[in-house]
Amino acid sequence: MIIVKDLKRCYGTGDTAVRALKGVSFEINKGEFVAIMGASGSGKTTLLRILALLDDATGGEYTIRGLKVSSLPEAERSYYRLTQVGYIFQDYALISEMSAAENVYLLSMMEGKSKKESYKTALEALEKVGLKGKHDRVPDELSGGEKQRVAIARAIAKKPDILFADEPCANLDTTNSKQVLDVFKELNEKYGQTIVMVTHEPWHTDYVDRVITFKDGSLLSDEKKMKE
Amino acid sequence: MINDIRVGALIAYCSVKRGNKKTLIFIVFVLSLIFMNLVFLPSMIGGLSGLFTGFMQDYPYGDIVIEPMGDNTYINNADNVLKKVRAVEGVRAGTKRLDVGASINHKQKVVGVTITGMLPTEEYEISRYPYIISEGDFLSDLSRDEIIIGAMIAGTGFGSEIYDNLGEVRPGAFVDVTYSNGVKRTYKVKGIMEGTFEVVDLNALVHYKEIEDVYGLEGKEATSVVVRVDEQGTEAQIQDKIREAGVNEQIFTWADKSESLIRQAMQSMGAIDIMSKIVSLIVGAALVLIIIYINVLNRKKEIGILKAVGITPRSIVLSYAFLSTFYVSLGISAGLVLYLSLMFYFQANPVTFYETMEISPTIDPVLLIQSVVTMLTLSVIAGILPAWSVSRESILKAIWGR
Ligand SMILES: Nc1ncnc2c1ncn2[C@@H]1O[C@H](COP(=O)(O)OP(=O)(O)OP(=O)(O)O)[C@@H](O)[C@H]1O
Ligand SMILES: [Mg+2]
Repeated sequence: MIIVKDLKRCYGTGDTAVRALKGVSFEINKGEFVAIMGASGSGKTTLLRILALLDDATGGEYTIRGLKVSSLPEAERSYYRLTQVGYIFQDYALISEMSAAENVYLLSMMEGKSKKESYKTALEALEKVGLKGKHDRVPDELSGGEKQRVAIARAIAKKPDILFADEPCANLDTTNSKQVLDVFKELNEKYGQTIVMVTHEPWHTDYVDRVITFKDGSLLSDEKKMKE
Repeated sequence: MINDIRVGALIAYCSVKRGNKKTLIFIVFVLSLIFMNLVFLPSMIGGLSGLFTGFMQDYPYGDIVIEPMGDNTYINNADNVLKKVRAVEGVRAGTKRLDVGASINHKQKVVGVTITGMLPTEEYEISRYPYIISEGDFLSDLSRDEIIIGAMIAGTGFGSEIYDNLGEVRPGAFVDVTYSNGVKRTYKVKGIMEGTFEVVDLNALVHYKEIEDVYGLEGKEATSVVVRVDEQGTEAQIQDKIREAGVNEQIFTWADKSESLIRQAMQSMGAIDIMSKIVSLIVGAALVLIIIYINVLNRKKEIGILKAVGITPRSIVLSYAFLSTFYVSLGISAGLVLYLSLMFYFQANPVTFYETMEISPTIDPVLLIQSVVTMLTLSVIAGILPAWSVSRESILKAIWGR
């Protein structure tokens, strides 16, 4: 589903240039739940942003379902971001002036769905992440885990091909982390959602099918885990 | 595009609904003051020019004034003109006048004046001259050796300090008049007129026959024929009718006259007005720019996030356009309320000018609409600019600052 070939990303130029990704290649199949691990500064975030079309690679190639997205013009990339990929930020990145439902249905409206339909989609997505009945709350009235689950709802409401999450539990305690990971797991198992998640915590790998480890901008290891 | 508008509206709506209300009130308050500033001075100036126009109608020009053609000093057959004019439907009254230059002499003091020769009984229907006699009486049909002088030259009224005057002339006193053709006459002062308007109070009035006599005219000439109409607002139509009736002299409505007059008188006022307008518009636009700019900077990250999740930059810019339109509309509405209450206050309690001239401001709908439109356009542009510039930044830069 995702094919990454010799992907490179270099920040800056000349003497101060940082080679954050030094040419990585891998494939991710439909329905996989992948964890990306590695030391701080190893290039995980850099990779994820490129995969989610938030940033451009400086070299290499990147295709989603056969479409070479690395060379799309910005308008199409924007549409792709809206309709095909979900991105979950470490700090939730919700719009603070919008309720949980509004945060989610904004995107459906952008896609051109009617208000009613958008609202329905939003409530469904919120229900999927276990936030039934909390759709009217604004982010300030939600716990960290709940906020992150709103963010997940926002990302999955559009039924994306792939869901990217950059350290989604970094700001959460164990209980909240578990709730979020459970949601991921359920999405993956019940709906076959492909998920790529960056994480530092070894125990998170219990939830995933595959662990890719980075070191200094290169692939260190890539191990599939047996499903229980 | 429809989706952009819907999403932009939703973003703007949420940010108003859940945004800081105190900030909103403050913004609206300041914008309302800016709007006030934009329309208040022009209204006062409008009131002032309305006042002058009123004077022009009440004294020298009436509703319609007929003046000699070309270089002629006189309308040659004024009686004939009057006959035609009076026959026109919608004309209430008409009279002829003779304006001449002269100097008045009293106890070694001399002032130059315009003396208007008029038919006293007819003036009651035409002008306010008969009604502004502050001391003594107005002329009568038999007043051949009598004169009415303006309060400013008599030295009794307001403004006497500014202009040369005869030093407290009272009714009953005798003054010597030397006309522009050298003829001298002595008149008894019958009354002092005080119109609190220079054009009036610096003049003198005598009987029409006097001027005729002094200048050797034959009973038909006039320097102007002054006309009053039945219904205000019909001046232009009646002007045409008079022309059609065969009057071959210059015919002006009071509006024609005051236009050039007011234009001169108001030129300096107008310059101040335009400057204050430009300044308040710039201040207003700058304020909206700053407000939205701060807002945009505060929400730079949010803008990046919106873009990251797939919201088009166009919807983001639109949301700020809606937001500033909303602020400005509220500001303008509040400004209008403020403005109208001030207008009603000043109309009930006019500002006195020149001690006796009362100015009540006029509400000019065209001016109001103009101001609303300019303020809206400018502010919306000022609101869009910062949002537009931030929405063009890369997502990474907007969210993570680099
Ligand atoms: N915008 C940038 N400009 C310059 N260098 C950058 C930028 N972003 C990241 N880097 C550098 O690129 C390298 C990889 O960064 P990246 O954020 O991908 O690491 P990471 O694996 O996500 O680390 P962490 O686990 O701490 O989040 C680091 O050396 C980092 O300093
Ligand atoms: Mg990182």
